[in-house]
Amino acid sequence: MDMKRDYYEDIEVFSSGTVLFWSFALFAFLFTLPLYLPSYNIYLFNIILVHVILAVGLNILVGYTGQISLGHAGFFAIGAYGTVLLMTHLGVPFFAAIIAAGLIAAFFGFIIGLPALRLEGPYLAIATLGFGLTIMHIIGRWDIFGGRMGIQAPPLDIGIPQWGLSVLLDSDVKMYYLIVVIAIIMVIGARNMMKTRIGRAFVAIRDDDIAAEVMGVNLLAFKTLSFAVSAFYAGVAGGLFGFVLGFFDPFTFNLILSIIFLVMVVVGGLGSVLGAVMGAALITYLQYDLLKNVDEMPYLGDVLVWVSRKLFTVIGLENFNSIMLGLIMLGIVIFEPLGMFGIWIRIKKYWKTWPF
Amino acid sequence: MKRLSCFLVLVVCFLIVFPCSGSAARSGFDDEEIRIGQFGPQTGPAAPWGAVARGAGLLFDLVNEEGGIHGRKIKYYLRDDQYSPSVAQAGVRELVERHGIFAFTGGVSGAGGHAVKGYLAGNEVLWVVPGTAALNTVADNQTPPSPYRFCSYPLFEDEASVVTKYAVEKLGFKKIGFLYQNDVFGKGGLTGCKQRLASYDMTLVEEVPVEPTEKDLASQMLRLKNSGAECALMWVSPTLSVITLKTCESIGYKPQWIAFDGLSDYPMMHQITGGLFEGVITAAFVPPPDSGDPLVSKYREAAKRLAPEERWGTFYLAGILFAEPLVEALRRVGPDLSTEACIRELNSFKDWKGLGAPITWSADNHQGTDSVQIQKCGPGGSYILLQDWTANDLATWKTKK
Repeated sequence: MDMKRDYYEDIEVFSSGTVLFWSFALFAFLFTLPLYLPSYNIYLFNIILVHVILAVGLNILVGYTGQISLGHAGFFAIGAYGTVLLMTHLGVPFFAAIIAAGLIAAFFGFIIGLPALRLEGPYLAIATLGFGLTIMHIIGRWDIFGGRMGIQAPPLDIGIPQWGLSVLLDSDVKMYYLIVVIAIIMVIGARNMMKTRIGRAFVAIRDDDIAAEVMGVNLLAFKTLSFAVSAFYAGVAGGLFGFVLGFFDPFTFNLILSIIFLVMVVVGGLGSVLGAVMGAALITYLQYDLLKNVDEMPYLGDVLVWVSRKLFTVIGLENFNSIMLGLIMLGIVIFEPLGMFGIWIRIKKYWKTWPF
Repeated sequence: MKRLSCFLVLVVCFLIVFPCSGSAARSGFDDEEIRIGQFGPQTGPAAPWGAVARGAGLLFDLVNEEGGIHGRKIKYYLRDDQYSPSVAQAGVRELVERHGIFAFTGGVSGAGGHAVKGYLAGNEVLWVVPGTAALNTVADNQTPPSPYRFCSYPLFEDEASVVTKYAVEKLGFKKIGFLYQNDVFGKGGLTGCKQRLASYDMTLVEEVPVEPTEKDLASQMLRLKNSGAECALMWVSPTLSVITLKTCESIGYKPQWIAFDGLSDYPMMHQITGGLFEGVITAAFVPPPDSGDPLVSKYREAAKRLAPEERWGTFYLAGILFAEPLVEALRRVGPDLSTEACIRELNSFKDWKGLGAPITWSADNHQGTDSVQIQKCGPGGSYILLQDWTANDLATWKTKK
């Protein structure tokens, strides 16, 4: 079925005509989405796409290279603050600013990658966690970053306003088109990278770093590169996130966010670009929209609120939200170790052999 | 196959649980109801402030019980923002675009508030009254102020100025120190205190900044102690205030502490400081919850009946206080409701008195008050009212044009 007959088939981004067809169908769907979705959902989609970029990047590090990071909110923050400050303080055009912010994040990723040569598992987790927390506190203490009160993103102009070429994206829909294009490029970029020498080196390190080194994989170069690439993705995602949100403070990029990013990758399926995309979409949707409006439903809402208040705490339905979110995540991890990607593989196989 | 079936069942459950893609944004009211929203932390690190949003719900339940406003019931929507600006924004947009919201009230998250203020103004949605001083219209430096946002949370500068006046004139302190959180909130308090002291030709004997995340304040407390400050103002978070009081206890330093309004939930502060909060004086924008004031008594009785599981405390009462002016404006507008009519009525508030300080708004001024009460924590976390609503006669924003 999925048997590869030669090397070139193995490195193709679109492995068959069917995949190409469905990929273009998906692009067409994404580009026409604003025509039939109300504005609120577009905002949610913008957040989802930003998280998709980040999760795909984090998956390169965690899923493909086998390293762990609990500090990705730090890279995300560098991207958000870097892009906004480069634009507001130095007048750098948007695209240059977001790439520069991504590269700054990548530089920090490279630095964090150095201890990864000697640290593994929980020790590396603590090192990266320390980085994420440090970034949050440094930003909070410097006035240039707006201190703890946060900063306002300027209107998103993707042109070069200094030259009179202004292209203002002043609505969620316009911003959506920018984000969806960047997300598609970065997702395809990640998928492509995993099929190159670099991607195979990452996978070799994940499977056994000593064996990889014996085979000639330069651990110093590839481990730090993996951190840098992953941080670049987080930086670009952060740059976009700043404009989607419009205003942010250091606490926005807290430890919980780093953990949620990791959850996206694990729930989606480690070592799969598609899994990271699905994980980011599901977890963001659960976090932002789970059980919304249920308390306004006739009868059911009142009953649930009553039960929640009597059995749990006075906050009402939010008790159920947290429990449901946790149960769904637990359920996927326990019953589907390959994450959502595993579910997807099974569905695909089921339909390929249907009705047998 | 079995697993696939389980998965499909899960998918169906999702479809039931998740809301469908909503319809286009609706107007904020109809003949039957007026839709009012609020975002606030019900879960996450700031969950204790969630009582503010639930307090507003009590007021609306009470209004509905009394027959609504000109035949319309209030439909109240509350969204948990988990103290995250992105979640706050998602919640606010969802409410405005899916349900149609006439006005927002409260909203205790400063960052969340900043993230949504432009969106609300752009959609001409009223916001009466934001639940944080960070959202005051004075800081916007905009003349006239945003027509849709009406504030009454006193500025930190004003609070500090009023309590400093009390410390000097009523308590007779000559040596005053200031402990402040090193951010806009703390520095605001410091500015107000220094401005007041300057009017007496006095200066602080010591001013000590602390970072919000610090856990060891021994050196800072020794600085205050060595300065000889007999009275110290404390513009720090509840966590830092606990560390402050416990550190001072251990080094044997007992000044008269005076704190900002965020520490005025005495039963809670008394409990988390192990009783050390007794004797601390605070500014307060909410009257004591055990006050005999007729309005407080009315709400207290309503809470016993309608929300018996809630703790009757300062934050819960604050939620009512933030929502009161909106209810009053809706009553004044009459049956011909519109956002413009409501703005007109809100702009005509002159020394209007609800639970809190008298509020005055006009088209040029949407910072309704500069007054606070001064209260003291008594035995067992009880409330002692020291001074009724007092305005800051040195407030600079009132003279700015």
